[in-house]
Amino acid sequence: MTDSTRPIDVEEAPRSARREFLAQLAGLSALAAAGGARIPEALAQAAPADPPGTVPNEAVLTQKVQGFQPHSARPLTGSIPAEMHDFDVTPTDRMYIRNNLLTPDLDASKHVLRVTGLVDKPLEFSLADLKKLPSFTTQAMLECAGSGRAGYQPKASGTPWLQTGGMGCPRWTGVSLSDVLNLAGVKPNGRHIAFSGEDFGAVPTAPKVIRSIPMAKATERHTMIAWGMNGADLPKIHGYPLRSVVPGWVGSASVKWLSGIDVLDAPFKGTYMDSSYRVPAYPVEPGQKMPPGALSTEAWVVKSIITTPRPMDRYKAGGLLVVRGSAWAGDNDIDLVEISFNEGVSWERAKLDVQRDKYAWRRFSLEAPINRVGYMTILARATDDKGNMQPIIPAWNPLGYFWNGIHRVGVLVEKA
Amino acid sequence: MLAALGASAAAQDRLIPGPGSELTQAKCAICHEIGYVTRAPQSRAQWEEVMQVMVERGAPMTPDEIRVITDYLATYYNREGPSAAAQAASAQAAAAQAAADPVTRLLNGNACLGCHTPDKPLVGPAFRDVAAKYRGDPAAAARLAQKVRGGGQGVWGQVPMPPNPGLSDADAKLLIDWVLAQR
Repeated sequence: MTDSTRPIDVEEAPRSARREFLAQLAGLSALAAAGGARIPEALAQAAPADPPGTVPNEAVLTQKVQGFQPHSARPLTGSIPAEMHDFDVTPTDRMYIRNNLLTPDLDASKHVLRVTGLVDKPLEFSLADLKKLPSFTTQAMLECAGSGRAGYQPKASGTPWLQTGGMGCPRWTGVSLSDVLNLAGVKPNGRHIAFSGEDFGAVPTAPKVIRSIPMAKATERHTMIAWGMNGADLPKIHGYPLRSVVPGWVGSASVKWLSGIDVLDAPFKGTYMDSSYRVPAYPVEPGQKMPPGALSTEAWVVKSIITTPRPMDRYKAGGLLVVRGSAWAGDNDIDLVEISFNEGVSWERAKLDVQRDKYAWRRFSLEAPINRVGYMTILARATDDKGNMQPIIPAWNPLGYFWNGIHRVGVLVEKA
Repeated sequence: MLAALGASAAAQDRLIPGPGSELTQAKCAICHEIGYVTRAPQSRAQWEEVMQVMVERGAPMTPDEIRVITDYLATYYNREGPSAAAQAASAQAAAAQAAADPVTRLLNGNACLGCHTPDKPLVGPAFRDVAAKYRGDPAAAARLAQKVRGGGQGVWGQVPMPPNPGLSDADAKLLIDWVLAQR
């Protein structure tokens, strides 16, 4: 499953995919067909005894679809390639995983969400309390800031997401953060909201992962405190029992295992605000270290992926090629998706699906007759309603954020 | 899928031998897999920044240890690649590691010394305190060997011991027998 026209050396994906394939040949295919990830015996014997109060990786990964690719075990990260994303709504078992620390095993009946800081009335909510407030369901993008990092050359520091990994668009159910803030009453100098969760690290000195967002984003209707994903409770790995969902913004703002909402007069000062999730204020030479005055990562930029065909799918000349994919643009809307079959020399407009929820990705499709033989590439390029267009190669930055280069899939056309 | 995870981790779970590699291995592996180090070579300036962030993230290191580890990373995981002198030092270090007695090799080759010393508690208990606790318990050796491989539950405190699944039965036994003999 490799796209040999990729100009970028994506190391992890092909190796893992080959190993999966060989493991299946070795006779695991029957069990693989049963769904989920099979734990090979050798690893099961050495399986970690996880710290009390945490969920083992094994328990998490068996709930993911066959073909889900872990990138690291400590902390747990993993994603699927674009060709496994061919759904209007991302199924829960395909949603990417990005932990910074361990996966806490929380008891929803004892869980408390505290609202503190620059508020008239600090409040405490149980899950039952929150469910009494007006709730809603919306489909919204969640994407790790480093999604697609493997595309950057030279390599940038961080989780080596596949070029099309680290994203998903499921349905979320919960309450508007603004309703909770209104109950507490935000003071006039309350300008930022800091989220903190119940996850913890391997050493007691590991700080909590605390991320803050400005009030304007916090008080959007779609910024939510969610308990549901695709009609069921949040799975443990995705933040059970509560998380923030800050749609269209970098995934780290959507804090899992949410227990604290703190209203501040300035952005939270902490390692996960200041040493991570920062981009230079101006383009830097590839390989440079982060210059001073770096900006906090907030809204995602315009991006798209091709979900059909799969790399190296085979076609017969004279047949019909159906291209499908998804496009999104952070806080903006998608205006246009174009497809090229000749490496960008010419572009054809794809048909855009109706816009669903504000922050849901936009599905697109194009049918084209196949009238030449041989290796062919398909490129997809999205433009948002502010005129921002996907670049060929996005600007390199030291932490490898916001990869949104145009996606390319190669297929083979044989004589009819 | 866990096969892919285990295999890729194992391939990237050992640092290039060199001055400081054992300390680096020991300290980094406390919290995360070594792949975080090996997968993206960087400049010295970037490694210095990374080390600052690691201190922010709670990594238990003294200023001297930070210096040694920074030098190691900037030499052996530099985007430019290690110099000829560094490569020669690496060959020497690899030879010294291979020649070391098996227990030293195991202690250095895994994350043990990131958290343990023979006689002072650090992140985890001192080896001689472990020996004292389990003295006279004939079943302790087998139990502890399993724990070292599978990870701890925080018997000595809040901090659990990360698993060492790559350790063979024989190596785990060797280590535990040595630990339990400490005074």
